[in-house]
Amino acid sequence: MSAELLRECYEIQGGNFDTAGEISGEIKTILRDLGIDAVSLRRVVVVAFEAEMNVVMYARRGTLTLILTDEEVNLEILDEGPGIPDLELAFQEGFTTASDEMREFGFGFGMGLPNMKKNSDELKIETEVGKGTSVFARIRLDAHE
Amino acid sequence: MNELTHGFRIIPEKCDGCMACMRACPTRAIRVKKGLARVIPELCIDCGSCLGVCATGAITATTITFAELDRFKFKVAVASPALFTQFGMKDTPVQVGQALLALGFDAVWKYAVDIELIDRAIRDYVQKSPGPFPLISNSCPVVVRLVQVAYPTMVGQLIPLEAPREIAGRELKRHYSRMLGLEPEDIAAIYITPCQAKTISILHPAERGGSYLDGAVGISQIYNDLLAIMRKSPGGADAEKLGGGSGEWFLSRAPEGEFPNLSREHYLPLQGLSDITKVFDDIEKGKIRNVEFLECHACQGACIGGNLTIENLYVARSKNLRLVSSRSDSSSEFLREVDRRFADEDFSLRAPLKPRDSEGKDLELRKRVERKKQAVEFLKALPMLNCGLCGAPTCRSHAEDAAMGRDKIEECVFLSQDRIHSLRDIYKKRCPEPDRRAR
Repeated sequence: MSAELLRECYEIQGGNFDTAGEISGEIKTILRDLGIDAVSLRRVVVVAFEAEMNVVMYARRGTLTLILTDEEVNLEILDEGPGIPDLELAFQEGFTTASDEMREFGFGFGMGLPNMKKNSDELKIETEVGKGTSVFARIRLDAHE
Repeated sequence: MNELTHGFRIIPEKCDGCMACMRACPTRAIRVKKGLARVIPELCIDCGSCLGVCATGAITATTITFAELDRFKFKVAVASPALFTQFGMKDTPVQVGQALLALGFDAVWKYAVDIELIDRAIRDYVQKSPGPFPLISNSCPVVVRLVQVAYPTMVGQLIPLEAPREIAGRELKRHYSRMLGLEPEDIAAIYITPCQAKTISILHPAERGGSYLDGAVGISQIYNDLLAIMRKSPGGADAEKLGGGSGEWFLSRAPEGEFPNLSREHYLPLQGLSDITKVFDDIEKGKIRNVEFLECHACQGACIGGNLTIENLYVARSKNLRLVSSRSDSSSEFLREVDRRFADEDFSLRAPLKPRDSEGKDLELRKRVERKKQAVEFLKALPMLNCGLCGAPTCRSHAEDAAMGRDKIEECVFLSQDRIHSLRDIYKKRCPEPDRRAR
């Protein structure tokens, strides 16, 4: 891994749909102003948003850390939440444990993890039921298309 | 890139450095240094907000003059539907068209067919697109530029089809060159425009392809002349003489082509830059789902609210409603023409739309990050009052300017007291001496 250029850490408040998405918005602004190419930027924003929403929907609180290097963007999302009992199932498109209320907000259609996987070059998830979940996503900055 | 790539220019002799434009600019593209406004070209999206607030007339729209049209053998006006909403309730589109002829145009193109064609092409495109959604209309040049500059990740959502006015330009050249035996280069297609942004979309298209139009004349530029002609010889409509196009002036809908045929729940019409920005922010955050298409106009009221129109927006809108409601249903001849051309023509943009390069894009990432961190440091020393006296619209802009070497951080009056003296010298010409006033 090449040298770290920038590291920003953000607190995510669980259950707060009002401000949900603000952290991914902030990350987008930072990376856009740094002139990150649009394709990579889009991938980062999708992963950051889905991760942020997962924390908002399921956890009490969590943190999202953005780490930028010369070659890639790393996102680390740690939460104190219920954990994911069956990770394989959670990666299936359309599988969701979202409540009706969450779906009313337009979330929880079972695309979260599949979307994150699709938009990152590496995705690692460590989870323990009753304790929380850690997500590590890596998005390369060289052209994807 | 230089200032010429934008739809207006600033006349230094007229600028009194009042900063109204700097404060009005939604992309913070204007700086006022030493009492003079200037534009940072890569940030400007041609919205014209500065034009509307300039009290001294120092900012003017780039349009063409009639003298420039003399090199063409045949001149055709393509009138924005907004033009017809600018006159009295009793003035008909035919009268307006005749006044355009009297003004020196050889023909007036009725482009209802072209609008209908693009409407169909967009519906088609939206239905066949695999996403990502929502797709965004591109007929407003300001919206296209806003996406290129501020929402680069959404550039792929702009619909890659030509605007109706471009299709009109292409078709009228084909039509008249065949009819009159002229070369297409001898025929001028001149757009009568409600805003300066359309001018720039003709001179410098956002996708860097070409334009089928040869220039634009602002509605406000010819309004008085048209009005005088119409008042001198009212009535006497002979629509046949007006020539080209489909025989329809208006579609039974609002100007510049809106899309009543798209399903309402999957389609949002947006007007005004601040509202558009709010929705775009939500889209980037992934908050807006199940919407397939956004029709976006940077001006409130869409094109009838353009900054080169004359009539009050609400009066114009009422006139527009009257014009639309008095139109009969599309004739079978009209629909046949639409069907024929839809099967024959390609409406794709000639080049793909790309994000606009930001300043310093060539620097290596490490340098850009250093600059960003420098800006954060600079910002800590600034008062966050956004007073503008440094010549930048916000403290944040000033910190960024200083970090990228556009300006010195000491230009802030809180950091160097001398600055207020030099400002007093620059603006003295317009302020009475304070001590004399006190006596």
